[in-house]
Amino acid sequence: MADLHAPGTLVLGIETSCDETGVAVVRVGPDATELLFDAVASSMDEHARFGGIIPEIASRAHLEAMVPTVQHALAGAGVGLTDLGAIAVTAGPGLVGPLTVGSAAAKALAVALDVPLYGVNHVIGHAAVDELVHGPFPERLMALVVSGGHSSLLLVDDIVTGVTELGSTLDDAAGEAFDKVGRLLGLPYPGGPHIDRFAREGDPTAIRFPRGLTAAKDQAEHAYDFSFSGLKTAVARWVEARQDAGEEIPLADVAASFAAAVADVLTAKTIAACRRNGIDTLVIGGGFSANSQLRDLAAARCAEAGIELRIPPIRFCTDNGAMIAAVGAAAVRRGLPPSALDLPVDSSMPLESVLV
Amino acid sequence: MPVLALDTSSAVAVAVVEDPRPDGASLRAGNGVLAARRVQEQRRHAELLAPLIVEVLRESGVDRRDLTAVVVGTGPAPFTGLRAGLVTARTFALALGIPVHGISSLDALAAEAASELVLPTGSTVLVATDARRREVYWARYRVTGAAHRGRADSVHDRAGGLGVWQDGPPVVLVAGPGVARPADLATDLADLRPDDAVVGRGAALYAELVPHGDGRRGDGRGGTGGDGTDRDVVDRAGIQDPDPSVLARLALARLASGESLLPTVPLYLRRPDAVPSTSHKRAIG
Repeated sequence: MADLHAPGTLVLGIETSCDETGVAVVRVGPDATELLFDAVASSMDEHARFGGIIPEIASRAHLEAMVPTVQHALAGAGVGLTDLGAIAVTAGPGLVGPLTVGSAAAKALAVALDVPLYGVNHVIGHAAVDELVHGPFPERLMALVVSGGHSSLLLVDDIVTGVTELGSTLDDAAGEAFDKVGRLLGLPYPGGPHIDRFAREGDPTAIRFPRGLTAAKDQAEHAYDFSFSGLKTAVARWVEARQDAGEEIPLADVAASFAAAVADVLTAKTIAACRRNGIDTLVIGGGFSANSQLRDLAAARCAEAGIELRIPPIRFCTDNGAMIAAVGAAAVRRGLPPSALDLPVDSSMPLESVLV
Repeated sequence: MPVLALDTSSAVAVAVVEDPRPDGASLRAGNGVLAARRVQEQRRHAELLAPLIVEVLRESGVDRRDLTAVVVGTGPAPFTGLRAGLVTARTFALALGIPVHGISSLDALAAEAASELVLPTGSTVLVATDARRREVYWARYRVTGAAHRGRADSVHDRAGGLGVWQDGPPVVLVAGPGVARPADLATDLADLRPDDAVVGRGAALYAELVPHGDGRRGDGRGGTGGDGTDRDVVDRAGIQDPDPSVLARLALARLASGESLLPTVPLYLRRPDAVPSTSHKRAIG
């Protein structure tokens, strides 16, 4: 078994929770973790015509992509498999079929190389990856993780051992709401980037769409929870009423007003959580953090509140192996015990469990 | 020269098998199986597999770095478990820098039947396994002369094990593999003669897969062989799950007969359940 605490331990991260096969190599340094290379293969093109991710198609693609993507990551990092000191893999949350492929591959590598295995939480990875980009985290921070599958607000005292889930979506994730609204506006799947493009040319105040769970009565139980399903339905009703009346749909204004409602709720609740907990650093991660209205509004509101905002570059916001390697590296640095070789995948893995 | 073999097409099964190449030396007692594990579990392949590999390596005393190849059953099988086996085999072999070979899991059942049931050269083996959804995965094989050659007493010695198959694979694929309702295999069944065999879990699950339905079946291991007059056609008891040691020996037999690398392509045999999206659904009526 490799000496885990030796400086320079190399950690391979494997991510297969959805449609992306991500594999990355990081080096655990004395103070910071360094990303050597990350490789991603995506099966998104195969899903587009179905209007959503088909788990079996994604699983088949993961199987075929696994070995080439591992080889690509190692070659890019300039290291060999036998140089690796630990393997980290997404244990959940995510789609069971895809998760199973990554998990089985990671276990096989751990056994064949005789190195420890760490099963890690995908959602936490979306926050942890920012350490690879912007350096070590401060003692406490807030993390907002927003994607097609998740919308969660996390209070982070330690990225591996001290994550508290303050709130999450009660129905649709932010990115999911965008895809659904994109569909009803007749935009191609995935709808998020298309709505974002239209929204830039529209008036975000043109239509006042509802802000879910922001009423006074919701503050007791759902101060930090989100709900986007009602908003999606409100957009549908507005659009269909005009379609029925034979009117033109002002796509740009609908997109801008819808995106504004999502960005408003996400940032307002997050800033409020920072203030109430005395937090001055906010990390936003996950695929939906690519959304330009969210980025702009978060930047403005953080500046106003004196909060440092950290958002990784877009390629680290979508699913990737580096985010999983980052959590694995954090576990290695803390000297935490590895996972068992019979670790299960957990499609609804709780966010407060960072390691399996 | 040990080989790691695994199959996740039904149970989770792992074995470390001695590779008799290159001198063709005979296998040790017990068919060269140094260690083997099988867990009858249809749902948790990815959880069970890695610990079982650790166990068979420990029990066999084989250092993982001394393995010369990985052999894996390529199905057909339910998708998630099958993939767990295939990705394990591929990445395990990658990490050790050794080749990985794929063999149809149905081939293993047919080969084991040919040897264990002492089926005569030229006879037929119909393999039918559980494909769920009231269907079976099936394939039809012909027994070759290599099935029994190399054994101490080629036909009647039941204690000598499966043999080495130095002259090539003991069965050749005649039709399939496919996925079908049991009733759709009626034609194949009608053609079977008394010397032939139906093996696999499908044969145990579906009455339609009992040839003639006349009760000419016993413990599945019976029959006097040879003249074929009183042999059972159906093996209902013995050969149900692919044996990874048989996979290993099949791979070695095929490699010995000149093939270089056997691809680990999964035999899904079914498309993913998915339909392209049509026009959007309205939120209001």
